[in-house]
Amino acid sequence: MLSVNFLLAVCLGYVALLFAVAFIVDRRNRRGPIGWLQSPVIYTLSISVYCTSWTFYGAVGSAARSGLEFVTIYTGPTLVFIGWWWLLRKLVRIGRVHRVTSIADLISSRYGKSPSLAVLVTLIALIATTPYIALQLQSVTRSYQIIAGEADVVSTAFWVAAGMALFTVLFGTRNLDANERHHGVVAAIALEAIVKLVALIAVGVFATFGLSGGFDDVFANVSMEDIRGAGDIFGPRWATLTFLSAAAVICLPRQFQVTVVENIEERHLATASWLFPLYLFGMTLFIMPIAIVGLKMMPAGSNPDLFVLTLPLASQRDDLALLAFLGGFSSATSMVIVAAIAVSTMVSNHIVMPVAMRLLAANPAVSGDVRNLLLVSRRISIALILGLGFLYFWVSGGSTALAAIGLIAFVGVAQFLPSLVGGIFWRGATRVGAIAGLNVGFVFWAYTLFLPSFAGDFSGTAAFLAEGPWGIALLRPQALFGLTGLDPLVHAVIWSVGLNTLTFLVVSSLVTPGALERLQGALFVDVYRTTGGRPAGVQVGTAQSEDLFILAQRILGAEPARRLFDEMSRSQGRAGGLPHPTDDVIGRLERELAGSIGAASAHAMVTRIAGRQTVEITDLFDIADETQRLIETSRRLSEKSIEQERTAQQLRNVNERLRALDAHKDDFLSQVSHELRTPMTSVRSFSEILMTEKSLSEDERDRFVSIIHDESRRLTRLLDELLDISRLEAGASVVDVEPIDARQAIDAALAAVDSMTRNSEVDVTVDPDPSGLNIMANSDRLRQVLINVLSNAVKYNAAEEPSILVRTNVRGPVVHVDIIDNGGGVSRQDATVVFEKFARGSRASRDQGAGLGLPISRAIMRAMKGDLVIVFANDDTSYFRIILPLESRTEKPAG
Amino acid sequence: MSDHPEVQFLHRQTRDRAIVLVIFGVAVLMPPMVGISLIPHKIAGIPVPLLYVFSIWICLIAVAFVLARRFGDTDPTVSSHDPAP
Repeated sequence: MLSVNFLLAVCLGYVALLFAVAFIVDRRNRRGPIGWLQSPVIYTLSISVYCTSWTFYGAVGSAARSGLEFVTIYTGPTLVFIGWWWLLRKLVRIGRVHRVTSIADLISSRYGKSPSLAVLVTLIALIATTPYIALQLQSVTRSYQIIAGEADVVSTAFWVAAGMALFTVLFGTRNLDANERHHGVVAAIALEAIVKLVALIAVGVFATFGLSGGFDDVFANVSMEDIRGAGDIFGPRWATLTFLSAAAVICLPRQFQVTVVENIEERHLATASWLFPLYLFGMTLFIMPIAIVGLKMMPAGSNPDLFVLTLPLASQRDDLALLAFLGGFSSATSMVIVAAIAVSTMVSNHIVMPVAMRLLAANPAVSGDVRNLLLVSRRISIALILGLGFLYFWVSGGSTALAAIGLIAFVGVAQFLPSLVGGIFWRGATRVGAIAGLNVGFVFWAYTLFLPSFAGDFSGTAAFLAEGPWGIALLRPQALFGLTGLDPLVHAVIWSVGLNTLTFLVVSSLVTPGALERLQGALFVDVYRTTGGRPAGVQVGTAQSEDLFILAQRILGAEPARRLFDEMSRSQGRAGGLPHPTDDVIGRLERELAGSIGAASAHAMVTRIAGRQTVEITDLFDIADETQRLIETSRRLSEKSIEQERTAQQLRNVNERLRALDAHKDDFLSQVSHELRTPMTSVRSFSEILMTEKSLSEDERDRFVSIIHDESRRLTRLLDELLDISRLEAGASVVDVEPIDARQAIDAALAAVDSMTRNSEVDVTVDPDPSGLNIMANSDRLRQVLINVLSNAVKYNAAEEPSILVRTNVRGPVVHVDIIDNGGGVSRQDATVVFEKFARGSRASRDQGAGLGLPISRAIMRAMKGDLVIVFANDDTSYFRIILPLESRTEKPAG
Repeated sequence: MSDHPEVQFLHRQTRDRAIVLVIFGVAVLMPPMVGISLIPHKIAGIPVPLLYVFSIWICLIAVAFVLARRFGDTDPTVSSHDPAP
C-alpha cells in the first residue's frame, strides 16, 4: 500500500515540475521564440486537453456500463479534424486575421461586434464549464481517496482548486494580449498530455498482457451484451453522441482556446488533422480491455469509473497505480487550467471591461490604467471560476456518475454551433437571429438536461421530472410536449440544438442586418478572399490622434503603444509625431486593441473617441468578393457615380505612387551597381596588370598599388555611406540629441574645412555671432552635416573672389543656419534632384564623391527633428538652410 | 507556391479527397451502416463490432496523414506567416 506521505511527496514533486517547466519556458521564450515549442507536435499535444479525467477514468466506466458507446466521444472529434480543411482552417484563419481572443469574441465580432451577444455566450460558457470543473475536482479527490484511504474530501478538493488557481494566475495572466499566447502553460499542458497517454496505455497493457493472456484471453468470455450495452447501441444515441463530441471539440471554450487562439501557424493544423485523432486512438485503444478485465477481476459493486486506478492497486502494483494517479491528475489539471484561462478571458473582456468602460466614460479625468485593471480582473475571474467549480462540487456532493456531467456540458456548448458555423458560412446570418437562437437553445438545455441532473439532490425534483411542473404532463422535462420514447440526452439535443438552429435560421432570414453586421459577415465568410488586416469598419467623423494614443497607452501599455503609433505615422510618410487618424489607422488600432480586450469592447472604445457611428453601404464594396463587387458596383453606378469616380481616382493615385516608387527603387539599384562597378573595374584591371606585366618599373608598380588602394578606400567609403543612409532612413540608427552651443558647432566645422577654404582662398564670415544660442543636436552628426554643406559651398563656388556667409536666425522654436556662397548656389532644376541618392548637380565632376552627401545630411537633420533645405532668393540664387530645434527656454542672443 | 494549372488541379483534387474522406467516415461510422458490424463473431480473438470501429478509425487517420502530407506540398493558401499586419 502506498503511504499517504509518499503520495503527497510525489504529487508535490510533480506539481513543482509543472511549475518549473512553465516558468523556464516562459522566461526562455521572452528572449526569443523556442524552436521546439513552435512545433506542430506541441500544438497537437495541447489540443489533447480534450481528454480530461472524464476520458481517463470515465471512459472505462462508460465502457463497463454501456459497451462500445464511449468511442463516439472520440470519433466525433476525429471526423472534425480529418475534415479540418472545411471548418477548422477557416476558424483559425478568422481567429488570426481578426485577432480573436475567445469563442465569445468570435461570435460577437461576427455579428457586428455586439456586446450583448458576447455577454450571452460568456454566461452560457461559464454555466456549462462550472460542472465540468467540479467533475475534475471530484476525480482528483476520489482518486486521492482511493490511494490515501479516507481523506477529508472537501479540504482535498479545496487545496487542489487553490493550487490550480495559483498556477493559472501565475502563467495564464502573464500578458494581456491573448494573441501573445501562453507558452509556459502550453509547455506544461504538452507534458501532461504525454503523462496521461503513457499512464493509460501502461495500465491497458498491464490489464491485457499482465492480468490476462492477451486480447484473445480478454475477449474470450465477452458476450454481445458487453459490447452493445443495455440498449440499441448503434441507434439515435450513437449518432447524437458523435454529433455532440464533434460540436464540443469546436465549441468548448478550452478547445477553442488551444485550437484557434493558441495556434501559431496554420500549417500546424495539417499535422494535428491526423496526429490528434491518432492520440485519441491511443487513449481509447485499451479502454475496453481495462473495463472487461476490471469487471471480471474486481469485486462486484466496485465503481468502474475508477478501474484505471483500482486494478493496479488490487494487483499490488503500486508503481502503476501511482502512474495512473498522475495520469488522472494531469488530465484534470490541464483541463481546469485551460478552461479557466479561456473563460476568464471572456469574463474580463466581455463583462468586466464594458463596466469599467462605462465608469471611465463617466469620469474621463481618471486616467485609469486599463491594463492593470484587466489583468486584475482576469486573475479574479480565474479564482472565481475555480471557486464556482469547487462550490458546485461541494453542494452537489459529487454523487453523479462522471459521464453524465461531461455530456451536460457538451450539450451546453453545442448551443454555440449554429451561430458559429452559420456565421462563418452564411452571410445572411444576423445578430438578432444568433441571440434568439442562443437564448432558445440555452433555455431548452437548462430545462431538459441541466435541471434534471439535480434530480434526487433536492426534494420534489423527482416528482417534477415524473409528472411535470404543477402536474402538467406536457411540460415534463424529459418528455417535453409529449415527445416520449427517447433517450433523455437525445431528447434534450433535439429540443435545444434543434430549436436553436431553427430559431437562428428563421429569425436571421426575417431580420435586416445592420451595416456593421453585413460588413463583418462579409469579412468572416470571405476570409480567404479578403486580405488579412482589412479595416474592421469605416468611420465618419474626426478622431483626435492624441485621444487615440492615450487610449492605446492605457490598454497596450506605454511602450507598445508608442511603437504602434510610430510605425503608423511612418507608413503615412511622416517624420515624427502622431499619425493622421485615417480609416486605416483607426481600423488598425481597433484590431490591435481587440487582441487584448475583444472586438466588441475595442469597437465601443474606439467609436467613442473616433466618433464613428455609421458605416456607409458603399464601404461594403471594398471587402465583398470580386463578383459581388462588380454586380453591386454596376447597380450603384448610376446613383453614386461621382463617389465611384472618386474612389477609382484614389486607387489610380495610389497605383501611380506605387509605380513611381518601384521605378525609383530600380534606379537606385542600378546606380548602386554602377557606382560599385567603376572602382571595382579599376581595381581589377590594375591588379591584372600587376599580375601579368613582369617588366614594370618600381615606380609604376607603386603608382598602380596606390591607385588600387585609393579605389578600395573609395569603395569602403561608399558602402559605409550607403549603410549609414539606409539605417537613418529606416529609423534604425538613433541620433541622440543634447543642448549644444551653436557657435561651437559652427566653429568646429569651420576648423575641419579650414585647409580646404585656405587652398581655394575662400573668405568665410559668420554673422551674426550665434554665441549663447543653445540648439538641440548631436554635435558629431551636426558637424558632419555642416562640413558637407560647407565643402560643397567651397567646391562648387566658381566666383572670382569666392566667399561664404554663415548666417544664423532664430525663428520661433527653431533656428535657421543659412550657408550662403556668392557662387550662385544650386539651380532650380538641380534643386529638385540634389537630395536624391547618387544625384549630383550639373556642375559636379565624377571625382567629387558618389552623391550621397546631401541625402545623408538631410536624413541626419530629420533624425534630429530638424531639416536641410534649399532656399531661393529673389534673384534666383540659392543657398542651403539648416533648420534646428532650439533648446526650450533659450534667450534670443543679444545683437 | 505556384499558380501552375497542374499544381492547382492537384490541390483541388486533394481538397476534394479530404471532403470525401469525411463524408465516407460519417457514412460508415453512423447508423445504419455501422449496424452491419453487430454480429456475434470474433476475428483474431477480437469481437467484430470493436474491430470494425477501430479499423475504420485507424484507416481514416492513415488517409488523413497522406492527405495532410499532400497539402503541405501543393497548398498555395495555407500561409505560414501571420496575415495580420
